[in-house]
Amino acid sequence: MRKWFIVILLLSLVTVWGCQPPDKNTEADPQGDTQGDQSELFVGVAGPFTGTAAAFGEMIQRGAELKAKEINEAGGINGRKLILSFGDDAGTDKEAKLIATRFATDKRILAVVGHFNSSCSLAGKDIYKENGIVALSPGSTNVSVCEGSDWTFRNLYRDDFQGTFIARYIKTKLTEYPSVAVLFDNDDYGRGLRDAFTAEAKKIELNMVASEAYDRENTDFTAQLTSIKGKNPDIIFISGLYGEAALIVRQARRLGIKALFFGADGVDSPDFLKNAGASADGTYLTTPFTFGAGGEGASKVAAAFEAEFGVAPDTWAALTYDAMGMIAEAIEKTYNKDAELAINRKAIRDHLASLDTPEEGYKGITGLTYFDINGDTVDKPAYVKVVKDGMFTTAPIQMTD
Amino acid sequence: MDQFYQQLINGIVLGGIYALIAVGYTMVYGIIQLINFAHGEIFMLGAYFAFTLVNFTPIPFWVAIFVSMLFCAGVGMLMDYVAYRPLRNAPRLSALITAIGVSIGLQNLARILWGAKPQTFTDDTLPTIFQQISPMKEPKVFFSIFGVTFTDAAIQFSENVSLAYLDLTIIVLAIILMVSLNRLVSLTKIGKAMRACAQNRIAANLMGVRTNQVIAITFAIGSALGAVAGVMVGVRDNIGPTMGLHKGVAAFAAAVLGGIGNITGAMVGGLLMGLAEVFGAGYIDPMIATICHTIGLGEFYDSEKISHSYGSGYRIAISYIVMIIVILIRPTGLFGKASAHRA
Repeated sequence: MRKWFIVILLLSLVTVWGCQPPDKNTEADPQGDTQGDQSELFVGVAGPFTGTAAAFGEMIQRGAELKAKEINEAGGINGRKLILSFGDDAGTDKEAKLIATRFATDKRILAVVGHFNSSCSLAGKDIYKENGIVALSPGSTNVSVCEGSDWTFRNLYRDDFQGTFIARYIKTKLTEYPSVAVLFDNDDYGRGLRDAFTAEAKKIELNMVASEAYDRENTDFTAQLTSIKGKNPDIIFISGLYGEAALIVRQARRLGIKALFFGADGVDSPDFLKNAGASADGTYLTTPFTFGAGGEGASKVAAAFEAEFGVAPDTWAALTYDAMGMIAEAIEKTYNKDAELAINRKAIRDHLASLDTPEEGYKGITGLTYFDINGDTVDKPAYVKVVKDGMFTTAPIQMTD
Repeated sequence: MDQFYQQLINGIVLGGIYALIAVGYTMVYGIIQLINFAHGEIFMLGAYFAFTLVNFTPIPFWVAIFVSMLFCAGVGMLMDYVAYRPLRNAPRLSALITAIGVSIGLQNLARILWGAKPQTFTDDTLPTIFQQISPMKEPKVFFSIFGVTFTDAAIQFSENVSLAYLDLTIIVLAIILMVSLNRLVSLTKIGKAMRACAQNRIAANLMGVRTNQVIAITFAIGSALGAVAGVMVGVRDNIGPTMGLHKGVAAFAAAVLGGIGNITGAMVGGLLMGLAEVFGAGYIDPMIATICHTIGLGEFYDSEKISHSYGSGYRIAISYIVMIIVILIRPTGLFGKASAHRA
């Protein structure tokens, strides 16, 4: 009797399980040979949806969702629905490899928007290359992200440009602050940016008095800050991400450090302001895009974004929105439903690679995007923002030449 | 020299936090020889609980710390009752693995309840002296005495040595709690029962000590202290589901360094770990630089050429190196006594 009961229980469980409709967004069929339902087109979005960079991930997800929604409401891509598949790399290279493999071997996914963290893009680079699938990053700025692979692209500037830019800005526009200390995150992004900054600082004779590293595992930075305080710099440049930057700024103010803080695009998140509170006042940072300088198209998207999610979009939402638009355009122009997956993936790559002059470039809300031979974006400017009364404001002095 | 004193203060603050957590590990180990890996999660829950209280109820911050202590004491006792008590006479490995399981479970529970994104106590939920300090405002001086200036931002010992009120509170709380714990264990009846259980649980039970009750109280006390540390770290840094991991492991190392099972050892061990971490981060780089320059390898150490700065990036490793050295010299830790069943 009891045995029968267990058998029936198991059978009913199997039936219930089997009747579950497959979750379209996550349940891919990696081994299947078909490209799935031909009326739907799949694009992967990889980013740090959990972990210490999760605030970026949230914006990336929303930026991608907004663009996909707009495309689908306008009738999809050539009448086919665009479906996003999200992969959480948690901002770590280990997870990024798993996500890259999942996307690359998923027979339905045509292209990937991501990753965000430079370490993640670098970790995924070879996997995307081997499998022949495009990865278009809306956030990785490390110099070598696109080098050596025909399949990786990005729609924002590189750290060598950004690091050089910051050093020059401090030297020429913030002349009343002559000495600088650097505090950098010991990962690909933090080190790369620091190297570019240091090299330029040396060249233009900017007085650099200290350089200290930190680890993202840690939440206490008082030891490094005390060492820096001993050198008495006028500016402290944080080469890292917003979470640690907020802690650093808070702890610095508690130690009585009055220096001006300067951050790069990694600090550009509303969560920096929320977490650092009043201690963030006066912090400068560079960013690949600011809605204040974006024009009419950008403000329209910003309004739509706010209506949809209840918060204002940030830089990363805008860049992801554009990256998604570029991929969608590439699919629209090249997709052939009778062709094999590998050929469709290759056609997307070839289309992106053909955007190599200002005339050919993609006109998005973040400006004109076109690629050099590596897949790096050429000639996109950097903007400077400054924190005033707990808000990011476009800095009065820009350096756009 | 100013820098040295400031690093000393930084180290003591961090050490105080480690000590508060380490006591929880060591008390439980002393009584049931269990390394309670879930203790770091209790610390994390303490921070989250106080955070939730100040954000969603009108309870003021100081009361929230107290309520959070009670809550964590309850969670600690519940954890013992549900997970460890059924395994009291099972092999020690079973309980250890259960502890790891509880730790992973609680960490993910926090992730579900509060999200993966690190949170911070915002200014409106904190007492004035803990709030963020704007660099735009000049600090208001309250008064000066013997060259020590009290401002609304911090206590200035000299121009470059200061102690924020938040850090002062951490040190004071750590001292008060440690001293009361010490008194409790050495002077009260329950303290005596704890010591009896630590010496020999079966014999204590035969003498009429209710060992299960004593063990539950031990969990409660350790968890309450962990909660205080959690709230203070939450205010000073931030709160995240994995905050218990790093601080917990460091505090466990502190307990081992001091001699696991020994409460004084945990306090001293915590302080030492904090100081080692801070001084390692602050002084290893200049030390390597000096050594390189004296032996004529100044070329080798050009701080602008190398991308890694040696000390500050590896501060956690430095404190573990100190621990390993101590354990190599004194396998029982600083205050531990060699005994047969600890092997």
